[in-house]
Amino acid sequence: MAYQLYRNTTLGNSLQESLDELIQTQQITPQLALQVLLQFDKAINTALANRVRNRVNFKGSLNTYRFCDNVWTFVLNDVEFREVTDLVKVDKMKIVACDGKNTGSNPAE
Amino acid sequence: IPKLYRNVMEDVINEVRELFLDEGVDEQVLMELKTLWESKLMQSKAVDGFHTEEQQALQVQQTQQVTQTQQPSQSQQVLMPPAQQAPQQQVIVQDPKILQHMSATGMSAAATAATLALPTGMAGVGPYPQLITSQGQILQVVRAANGAQYIIQPQQPIMVQQQVLPQMQPGGVQAPVIQQVLTPLQGALPQQTGVIIQPQQIVLTGNKVQQNPQVMQAAMAAQTQAGPGGAQVQAQAQAHSQAQGQPVQQQQPPVMLQVDGAGDTSTEEDDEDEDEYDEDEDEDKDKDGGEDGQVEEEPLNSGDDVSDEEDQELFDTENVVVCQYDKIHRSKNKWKFHLKDGIMNLNGRDYVFSKAIGDAEW
Repeated sequence: MAYQLYRNTTLGNSLQESLDELIQTQQITPQLALQVLLQFDKAINTALANRVRNRVNFKGSLNTYRFCDNVWTFVLNDVEFREVTDLVKVDKMKIVACDGKNTGSNPAE
Repeated sequence: IPKLYRNVMEDVINEVRELFLDEGVDEQVLMELKTLWESKLMQSKAVDGFHTEEQQALQVQQTQQVTQTQQPSQSQQVLMPPAQQAPQQQVIVQDPKILQHMSATGMSAAATAATLALPTGMAGVGPYPQLITSQGQILQVVRAANGAQYIIQPQQPIMVQQQVLPQMQPGGVQAPVIQQVLTPLQGALPQQTGVIIQPQQIVLTGNKVQQNPQVMQAAMAAQTQAGPGGAQVQAQAQAHSQAQGQPVQQQQPPVMLQVDGAGDTSTEEDDEDEDEYDEDEDEDKDKDGGEDGQVEEEPLNSGDDVSDEEDQELFDTENVVVCQYDKIHRSKNKWKFHLKDGIMNLNGRDYVFSKAIGDAEW
């Protein structure tokens, strides 16, 4: 089973909202919506792993850190993200990171 | 980035197509999902828009069904009309965005401006979309019904204004705005009575928007509650659906906007929560009987903590990065992050990376 980590992204949220709307109007069942989301998880995980090829550097100050269930959550302040092309600054941001060393560590479906 | 998202979307849609068919769901629903998904993506402005061909086609079909809902989601940003590619499509696409912006800014002034701006000209996208607040979908439906034409005709808006303006209230701004849409609908689309916007939206019956206060309440409440709210709205709206040519009226005098959750469900939930909380407290006290200091310490400790922390953690419109970590390293208070395969939303825009390396001091 792929990580459900990416559901809280622009892409994932808009998909969830759309699915919810369809459920509201009874055009699909919640069960089906769940299937769609699971499918989305797989697709996004694959896409990220295979289609994306760029690097980013960042630096800032750490405000909080949390490590629970093998998931790191950080809250950083005054961070600068540097890509080759451009620079992005944020006052505050949150990083949620799942274990990427071996996705096989997830319970198999 | 948009290309990546397009690719992912295409993949997902194709993969779920099979699922949809297995369930016996019509392909059209799948298309609808795709449209909704795309339109939301475009509204968020985190990605550049595209891919609206199907949207238009779908909207024409959707006029009779209409189950488009919109909620001011993550990024409410102003998308000004200037960036138009395909006029029809773009208008449709942009409307929700602008609407979102409108709803975000709280509207009274905006709505007034919108109503005034209406008669001035329908050529531009500006006045038109401003009409509709967060009910972006209403716009779409309206447009689709008329094809490429603007539904709101110059004369009508003026008429609407008079009705609408007096009714404008801080909380109920959206109501009059929607009414505007409705009255034009009367003339342009007499048949369109079944425009239902859920879950938090007003049911367009082609005439009235009586349920505004309710809908507003529902709109403010959590999405889950919108279901029953939407059902109510539907029922009431359809009861009045046949009356045409009547001025839009607000039939609920108390237009109190409930911000903190409408309906009975919330109170029930609160009660449950309170009960659970009390039980937990009791348990804790029993456990800590042995450690007298504990219970007292906790409140004391939380007093020590900088209160910023909680606000920061819970604040959900902050910039977020979801990714996987390769290695997280720390030396004293120096942290090093080795991350990979991430999607970032910074300052409202989306970025992706295959690797990210960072340093931070705690």
